[in-house]
Amino acid sequence: MLLLTSLLTIGGMYLTVSSKVAQAGRQVMTYEARRQELLQANADMRSKLAELTIPERLLERAQSLGFKPAGPDDIEYIEVQGYTPQAAFVAPRPLGSIEPGPAGLSPAFTETLGAWLSRLIGVGGSRP
Amino acid sequence: MNEAASPSARIRLVLLGMALIAAGMVVQLVRVQFGPYAPVFKDLGSSSGGRMERVIPDRGLVFDRNGKLLAANATMYYMEVEVRQLTQASVQAIPDVISTLLSQDPKDIRVQLARDWVGQGQLRIRLTRRGSDGKTWPITIDEGIADVIKGFMTADSGLDLSGLSLVGAPRRIYPTGSLLGHVLGFVNQEGKGFFGIEGYYDEWLSGKPITIERPLIPPEARLQPDPPAGVNLVLSIDVNMQQMVETVLENAIETSQAESGQVMVMDPRTGEILAMASWPTLDPEEYEPWLAKEQAKEVVISPAASAQYEPGSTFKVLVMAAALDAGVVKPEDEFIDTGEIEVGGNIIRNWDGNAWGSQTMTGCMQHSLNVCLAFVGSQKLGAGLLYGYLNAFGIGQLTGIDLAGEVQGNLRTPRNVDWTESDLGTNSFGQGVSVTPVQLLSAVAAVANRGVMVQPHLVREVVGPQGVYWPKTTVLGKPITADTAEVLTEMLAQSLENETSYATVPGYRLAGKTGTAQVPGEFGYDPDSTVASFIGWGPVLDPQFVVYVRIDKPQNSPWGSVVAAPVFQDVVERLVVMMNIPPDPVRMELAGGG
Repeated sequence: MLLLTSLLTIGGMYLTVSSKVAQAGRQVMTYEARRQELLQANADMRSKLAELTIPERLLERAQSLGFKPAGPDDIEYIEVQGYTPQAAFVAPRPLGSIEPGPAGLSPAFTETLGAWLSRLIGVGGSRP
Repeated sequence: MNEAASPSARIRLVLLGMALIAAGMVVQLVRVQFGPYAPVFKDLGSSSGGRMERVIPDRGLVFDRNGKLLAANATMYYMEVEVRQLTQASVQAIPDVISTLLSQDPKDIRVQLARDWVGQGQLRIRLTRRGSDGKTWPITIDEGIADVIKGFMTADSGLDLSGLSLVGAPRRIYPTGSLLGHVLGFVNQEGKGFFGIEGYYDEWLSGKPITIERPLIPPEARLQPDPPAGVNLVLSIDVNMQQMVETVLENAIETSQAESGQVMVMDPRTGEILAMASWPTLDPEEYEPWLAKEQAKEVVISPAASAQYEPGSTFKVLVMAAALDAGVVKPEDEFIDTGEIEVGGNIIRNWDGNAWGSQTMTGCMQHSLNVCLAFVGSQKLGAGLLYGYLNAFGIGQLTGIDLAGEVQGNLRTPRNVDWTESDLGTNSFGQGVSVTPVQLLSAVAAVANRGVMVQPHLVREVVGPQGVYWPKTTVLGKPITADTAEVLTEMLAQSLENETSYATVPGYRLAGKTGTAQVPGEFGYDPDSTVASFIGWGPVLDPQFVVYVRIDKPQNSPWGSVVAAPVFQDVVERLVVMMNIPPDPVRMELAGGG
């Protein structure tokens, strides 16, 4: 009876852990798909924003509001002491440049029982 | 009422339920094994718990110097059909929907759907259309139309589109449309860049695709690595300046009824190209007609670097620079112009056929006298010095500009078997020699930049996964001394003030030279067409820009002074505002401290 109970307990634990892993895996898959969707949506929105702010469109809008391009005679130059010119534009780093870890999971989830025991008794050295 | 069924009845009910479930499982097994998707399941079964997938990184973005997006990525959709899923209704409905939304001939789609694809072993097809070039291209749709079709695909739409699916793929888009088409080049449907920046930096922009094994079972799921991304580029182009330059060029083309034209603006100190406009314009998202013409050698996609022409009188700047630097002439040296000169058996005359009598070298440049420059080139400089200097100015060589497809022009020298002595005379006033616009621009920019010639370039910043890289200014050489450059600039500034009032801008001292070149054809020079051009820089005391203008085959006047010089004036008038360059008196006052 004790043996049966133990087996059932271990079996139950195994099933629980397996279902948790499957659930986590499912979440990873869902998040990956969602990430792709968001990246795509982000790229589409960035493009739309760029299309909305092209010089031709802005020029038309400015002219419809009564503005006109400034000529040399329209400008008055003054000296501003300590003026710092605007810094040069730096483009964003390319998306997808970040490499995830080897398995993408914390060692807390991937460490084997043997490795844990070795670490515990100091054979494998301490974790940094 | 029988309150409870007998135990045996309940058992039978349970058994029936279990039998139904078992039967369902058997049906599903048969469907998986022999149904329409059997090959798919077979493939999945043979894979080792995952699906091998090629992941292509997003192509790098391209920005202008102020951060305006010039080339980006969006999603397009291919229309694919799973042929075994087609029904009688969907075979009718799919062509109707496509023809309504895309103005596509429904018959063409019906023909594609009616073919015996299964017999050919193909279960999934990509619908195609016939392009304007007669070739067959996959049908692609943008997100808006894809949303409409997805709406039709829902059950409550009443339309049967069984079998049709939309497969997303990255698409290159150019938010500024045709504004910078000749500079940017384009990307084909396979994601390969051609011409311009897209072609030159294709390898950097496209990144490196990787193959990953994507698990199919949730417990195996892991975060997948991203493929090494393509770099983002920041161009030296200012998109507002580009817009201004293109507008001015368009107006000039309209006024002169010319065939084509170009305007470029460069910073002579760094070699940065600030604007590079070409007419007719090219929309990189509609590149197919241009590609067909390019393949037929009817047009060039990046004329600034890939189209060579005879420069005419703008070339005299380089010849005079050589003569001054070699010390064989001085600005005030006198030349008696008799109206013609013979060099190597070839009689050279002035543009107006007249004799201009006594002239200084400055006068020769001011009136653009062919006879005088032929004299300087052939009798003062000679072949050795003239071609030595032209080589130093990079004529007949690639500039190394970062545009795909640059050509090196054509300069015959005494080392070439087909060179004759008459070339010495004609080359001296810009005939019989071919240059690219960007070659002439960089050579003349050396005069503006105190004799230092820098490499023209379009990319000022490269941002990759490892960090940011700013390409340094590359000095190509010092063909003339700073003193020579200063003297020549003064000569050309005086010429401009005295001769070409169309090219002056009040408040700013500028230097420049007009050009009117005949167009060589199969049977000699075409008497009816010219290339009108102008190249100038300013402000003379501290040159910050060089502007190159070229108008091909103008109809209202053949002369550079009438057609191209006003374009230079229009561009500079707005350029000084955009570049925040105060008028000369203001700058001198500020430099003097008050």
